[in-house]
Amino acid sequence: MKFNRKDNKLLGMSARAGLMLVIVAAITLEATSIIQYLYSQKEIKKEASLRAESELKSAENKIMDVVNQAEAAVRNSLWVAEWCLENPDSLMRIPQRVVSDNPVVVGSTMALVPGYSTNYPLCAPYATRDMATGNIRMLSLATEEYDYPSSEWFTKPIELDDGYWSEPYFDENGGDILMTTFSMPVKDKSGKIAAVLTADISLDWLTEYIGDIKVYPNAFNMVISRTGQIMACPVETLVMQTTVDQFALESEDYEALNRVNQAMLSGQSGEMPVRYQGQTNHVYFAPVERTGWSLSIVLPEKELYSGVRRIGMIVKLLQLLGLAMLIVILRVVAKNQVKYQHMNEQKERMENELHIASEIQMAMIPKTFPPFPERKDLDLAASIIPAKEVGGDLYDFFIRDEKLFFCIGDVSGKGIPASLVMAVTRSLFRAMSAHEDSPAKIVSSMNNSMSETNESSMFVTFFCGVLDLSAGQLRYCNAGHNPPMILTDAIRMLPVEANLPLGILKGMNYIEQATPFRYDDALFLYTDGLSEAENASQEQFGEARIEKALHGRKHSADHLENIKQQVSLFVGDAPQSDDLTMLFIHYLPKEETLQQERHLVLHNDIQQIPQLADFVETIAHEKHLSQSLAMGINLALEEAVSNVILYAYPKETDGLVDVEAILRKDSLEFIIVDSGVPFDPTVAPDVDITLSAEERSIGGLGIHLVRELMDSVSYERKDEKNYLRMVKNI
Amino acid sequence: MEIKVEKQNTVVTVFLKGRLDTLAAQEVSKQLESLTEDASGTIVMDCTDMSYISSSGLRIFLTLRKAAAEKGGKVIIRSISNDIRSVFMMTGFLNLFEIQ
Repeated sequence: MKFNRKDNKLLGMSARAGLMLVIVAAITLEATSIIQYLYSQKEIKKEASLRAESELKSAENKIMDVVNQAEAAVRNSLWVAEWCLENPDSLMRIPQRVVSDNPVVVGSTMALVPGYSTNYPLCAPYATRDMATGNIRMLSLATEEYDYPSSEWFTKPIELDDGYWSEPYFDENGGDILMTTFSMPVKDKSGKIAAVLTADISLDWLTEYIGDIKVYPNAFNMVISRTGQIMACPVETLVMQTTVDQFALESEDYEALNRVNQAMLSGQSGEMPVRYQGQTNHVYFAPVERTGWSLSIVLPEKELYSGVRRIGMIVKLLQLLGLAMLIVILRVVAKNQVKYQHMNEQKERMENELHIASEIQMAMIPKTFPPFPERKDLDLAASIIPAKEVGGDLYDFFIRDEKLFFCIGDVSGKGIPASLVMAVTRSLFRAMSAHEDSPAKIVSSMNNSMSETNESSMFVTFFCGVLDLSAGQLRYCNAGHNPPMILTDAIRMLPVEANLPLGILKGMNYIEQATPFRYDDALFLYTDGLSEAENASQEQFGEARIEKALHGRKHSADHLENIKQQVSLFVGDAPQSDDLTMLFIHYLPKEETLQQERHLVLHNDIQQIPQLADFVETIAHEKHLSQSLAMGINLALEEAVSNVILYAYPKETDGLVDVEAILRKDSLEFIIVDSGVPFDPTVAPDVDITLSAEERSIGGLGIHLVRELMDSVSYERKDEKNYLRMVKNI
Repeated sequence: MEIKVEKQNTVVTVFLKGRLDTLAAQEVSKQLESLTEDASGTIVMDCTDMSYISSSGLRIFLTLRKAAAEKGGKVIIRSISNDIRSVFMMTGFLNLFEIQ
């Protein structure tokens, strides 16, 4: 539960950080897209303006081309017309010629000012091209129904004294053709306006042409006349039926539309926004010179920005997708973070436990060296270097009944399971060897016990030895462990039966082996962590190097230190792959040349005499002396010592008696030292043991016994001290 | 050293148990003082359980022997171990005592 709360807290923190991140990302993305959108819009508008302007220009050019042709047709005929004024009969030839010479002109008339010709008060011959056949027909406009002198095309040029483009109109005679007329005054030689010459052009092409201009799919174009009459637009019903003023009145955005109309009608060019049918439209407009017309292109804003809107939508979609992914990733990261945190905590805990386990494990094995400082006959050292915190290697040893029990083992596997098996193995070794002297029996019992409960299928290679320290014999039993090195005159592998490791086969019959173990012999036991220590090029340390390292007798601890250094040099920086355990046993029993010394210091008090008996008892035990011999030595020593205690020092003064024993293989030497009065017992006359009881004196028996019991007795006074030296051959 | 004295008519039996070393001899000699003064009878020194004797112990035996000889009594030493016997031999005491 503790961890769950921590989780939530952690998750909460991560979630908050994640949320912030998502918000910042969203704002950034949105801002970027808005800027991009606005910029694009501006660019698109610029682009649209350019396109509209260029379209307007090209439409204007196209119109101007037709207009110019029509104007030219009229102007070029003026001189002929002037000439014809004098021959009214030939007047009809002028319009005929204008029509026939100019394909754009569909009709033409030469109308005389009423009263100019006396012969013809009204005269207006009209030439028209038959659309179907292309033939030119001649008509007269000077009819009673058609009052041409009051027609706009006739009055305006006279009024202006210049060329004039009429308002567009439907031709009433030649079918429903939208027409416009250019008319010019014709003057006679006196400069008086005599007639008006006209050229009609069809505007059908204009509607078609205007309809074809498609800047954008739903954009449309319009041409209006100088009075605001709609001349061309996609809605045909409006053409020549409505003025833009009327149109504006009906629309919802009258003011804006009116503004556009005014601008257009006053011959300006430019762009203005207009709302129409709920949409914003951009109206681009430009005048057509001379005619007073105005061209315009209407672009619905929606259309204009539809591309950028679509891209905007896609961008927004991608942004949302990105944000969603970001959220997913953040969640995953947060979860992983929690998991990682957990793993770290677990790892820490485990490392801590491993450390404790290692300490417990190390506390189990003897690791105070030298382990038996009082023993001169045994030099023993051991070392264990675990590869991980806790290892599966073990060694152990102890002395019972003058026998050294020792073992080395290697548990299969590493880590805590191995260390537990190691602990069990060590306990079993102690338990089984407490009352059993035979290594084979110890190993068999251990094996049976371990096989029975071996649920983890771990096994242990094991070597158990029992060195009889007094008899100099080594008995051993190997359970699948690598053979130890025995160091006698030469260094060789101890011959061992392989047998099976512990924990594999219950009831396995382990074979015991024995070898004499003499003075200065040594045994080196190790685990495969030593022989299989690898260097960077995966070469193993091997038995040959071990053997080489063991040459020469050293102190056991120095041997191990030396091997450790050699391995360290060999391995270099390569990591230690396995536990490295070593045990070195050097046997140094009492030997001829070796003498041992024992000391006893007594006060000059007869009460201390029993201590002497204990002193002799210990030596006798050590030297395996017979009871009689021990008693004799005890007696001789007591006589000499009690002599000093009783007589060497003045009464009531404190003095010391130093008893030094030198133990040799075949003799014991005792030196009794005191700083009392000089006294040489050796010179005292010996008692006559042949005398009768009545003749015998009471004293002198002590020194007599010393002489009798010891093989040699000598006295020396040195440095104010008495030295009584006694030797007993054994 | 444990010492026990048993009197039966004219026979006094002294049981000695343990080590009769220099320290024990001081005690034993005190306890046997009266015996020395009245040594007209037979004194039996039972050494069955005596494991050790020093010269001071031997001296007690000799003192007793001398006193008995003066007073017309005698000292008999009963059952000594071989080790003690050899001490007796070394000191010529085998000839001085009747040993049973």
